[in-house]
Amino acid sequence: MAHQAHAYHMVDPSPWPLTGAVAALLLTSGTAIWMHFNSLVLMTLGLVLLLLTMYQWWRDIIREGTFQGHHTPPVQKGLRYGMILFITSEVFFFLGFFWAFYHSSLAPTPELGGCWPPTGITTLDPFEVPLLNTAVLLASGVTVTWAHHSIMEGQRKQAIQSLTLTILLGFYFTFLQAMEYFEAPFTIADGVYGSTFFVATGFHGLHVIIGSTFLAVCLLRQVQFHFTSEHHFGFEAAAWYWHFVDVVWLFLYISIYWWGS
Amino acid sequence: MSYEEKLKNYRTAPFDARFPNTNQTRNCYQNYLDYHRCNKALSAKNQDPAPCQWYHRVYKSLCPISWVQKWDGQLEAGTFPGKI
Repeated sequence: MAHQAHAYHMVDPSPWPLTGAVAALLLTSGTAIWMHFNSLVLMTLGLVLLLLTMYQWWRDIIREGTFQGHHTPPVQKGLRYGMILFITSEVFFFLGFFWAFYHSSLAPTPELGGCWPPTGITTLDPFEVPLLNTAVLLASGVTVTWAHHSIMEGQRKQAIQSLTLTILLGFYFTFLQAMEYFEAPFTIADGVYGSTFFVATGFHGLHVIIGSTFLAVCLLRQVQFHFTSEHHFGFEAAAWYWHFVDVVWLFLYISIYWWGS
Repeated sequence: MSYEEKLKNYRTAPFDARFPNTNQTRNCYQNYLDYHRCNKALSAKNQDPAPCQWYHRVYKSLCPISWVQKWDGQLEAGTFPGKI
């Protein structure tokens, strides 16, 4: 007979935080084992456990919010704070790599020839594929905003179309970037230029893939009528994340591709 | 002061306001570069490269010997990364 006299969500006991923690342990130790003893077992186990954890944990959140009604306005506010804080932490993550890039490029050492780009490095032309990539991501920012407005206005078909287009643009970016990586005249092992370039753009590419996946999940949910015109926070979180990925690219493009060439 | 006088009065590298800080790496490297650039430029015009000795004195005073040996080796092998 007792029921809660507040609007907050007291989550039922769940095994996923534990499996997530075990996955983190297996991934970290597994990567170390892989690097020193040439065995992929632990790391693969960690990866599988991580994927299972993510799938089941987020599936449970969707069940709690969309089907069981636990995501009241205060709960949604907490989720908003959470996503904002997470994205902020990611901003700091990338800030580190930009710091590394500027540390090495603003005062290039004699080993590099005292110049940036270092002697012997042929940089990519910023006005070729990188510029196209910039256009692709900016366009995807427009389409994701279109999708948001479609959802808010109850336009189901347009929401599906614009969200699909956004995801396709994301895939196109990833494809183009993969081609660039393959064709680049320098590698990650080519001094500090290679290190800063591939670590910064590499982590960005990973975030594009993560963002595209998040949007794809939203597309599936939209098709299955999860979102209402008033309540679609999952989509908003994905859109915020996508804009963040776009902004990081703009900084990468200006700093590494353009100024650094 | 003519460059001969300057060279005669040389005791050690004077203060160079371009490099005011404790880390004098760039001071050493720049003078090493300037010596070789000076030599290259004056020889190209068939002039006496004697004024270049100033840069030579400065980098000899400032640079660690191992650096100079490494860079000289690179110059010989054609792998010196700096622009001469």
